[in-house]
Amino acid sequence: MNEFTILMHLLSNKTNKIQIGASKEEILKALNIHGKNESVYFQDLITHLSSYIEPLGLQIRFNPLSSRWYMAFEMQTSDFFSANPFEGKPRLAATLFCTLIYCLKNLGIAKIQDIKEIRKKKHIIEDLKDLRKMGYLQLDDKLGKVSLTPLIGYQLDLNKLFIKLALKVKDQES
Amino acid sequence: MGEYKDFSEEINRKIEEIQTKVITGEVTLLDVELFPIFENLKDSLNTGNLNRYSITYKNASQLLIQKFEELKILINNIDRKEGFLKFLKSNPEDSEIYQLLNDCWIKPFNIESLSLDFLEYSRDKLSVKRGYPTSIEHIEKVEVKDTFLLEVPEQKFTEKMLNFYNNIKNKLPCSFDEIFEGDQNQIRIYENFVYLLHLLQLGKINYQKETNFLYI
Repeated sequence: MNEFTILMHLLSNKTNKIQIGASKEEILKALNIHGKNESVYFQDLITHLSSYIEPLGLQIRFNPLSSRWYMAFEMQTSDFFSANPFEGKPRLAATLFCTLIYCLKNLGIAKIQDIKEIRKKKHIIEDLKDLRKMGYLQLDDKLGKVSLTPLIGYQLDLNKLFIKLALKVKDQES
Repeated sequence: MGEYKDFSEEINRKIEEIQTKVITGEVTLLDVELFPIFENLKDSLNTGNLNRYSITYKNASQLLIQKFEELKILINNIDRKEGFLKFLKSNPEDSEIYQLLNDCWIKPFNIESLSLDFLEYSRDKLSVKRGYPTSIEHIEKVEVKDTFLLEVPEQKFTEKMLNFYNNIKNKLPCSFDEIFEGDQNQIRIYENFVYLLHLLQLGKINYQKETNFLYI
């Protein structure tokens, strides 16, 4: 029993469908780390645990949507476990992607009307409701607005996606 | 003199190949791993090929600088959220977006079978106040005017022992206990006892075990 056992538990803990892992503050509190060097010690722990779990095909990741650290399978291993929750549902994936881009543009909240217009498809409301059911979105029907839950931040490498997207946009421009 | 391996030509050729591919637009530097080049340079560097390698290293660094420039451009692109919207407005097919999302999916790793109670109990035991990392404080130096000298007794041991002998010799013969009676100072008793042992060893005083008496 040591710090890593506790860290393993905190980072692999699923409180509910949309809350996984732990924030830096929670980790520091659980391990009773404080003082001016707490960030150094925290970074040290994360780095060391990462190197321990790497041979097991695991890695520590950070979800920018919830500011929580969590444990995940490495990308290649994730493919093996068929991590894509939209397997065979490209329409839903595309609607979620549009919502993501609009939320990114508008400080986390998107207008349902904008998504309808950009998608130019029928059944967008049904898509959004399905995505809500899956835990990805919060819908405000009265205000006609939609926001993301932190769930997609756990399941999608947003950095990688935006780099791919930036390259695609660059290709289209050139 | 040992044989020196020199891969500079090979590495230079590799760098040139990459540069050609970048110029012709076949690849962008962001797609190229430069790490193996630097690793190769590092592993095969020795005193014999140092001169040639310094030029190769310069070429490799130039490539790295170019890569940083490309990365800067890419980061600027990422910051352009309008660019992303432009992509959406170009009416991409669902399959195209689906393809874009490919390779980006992650599977979180959850252990739900761990006993939380046990872990919390263990955590509480572990949660002791930590002194890590220890801060080092410099001790204030104190100026001492006097010079230090090792404290030594004013008299030599033999002199002190003989003083003790002179003090007790008139009491003798007497019992062992009488020698020390009346003295409450433990350190002096211990000191006198040591003198007595030495006097017994030297034969200046004798001891009769049966009567517990000391005599000359």
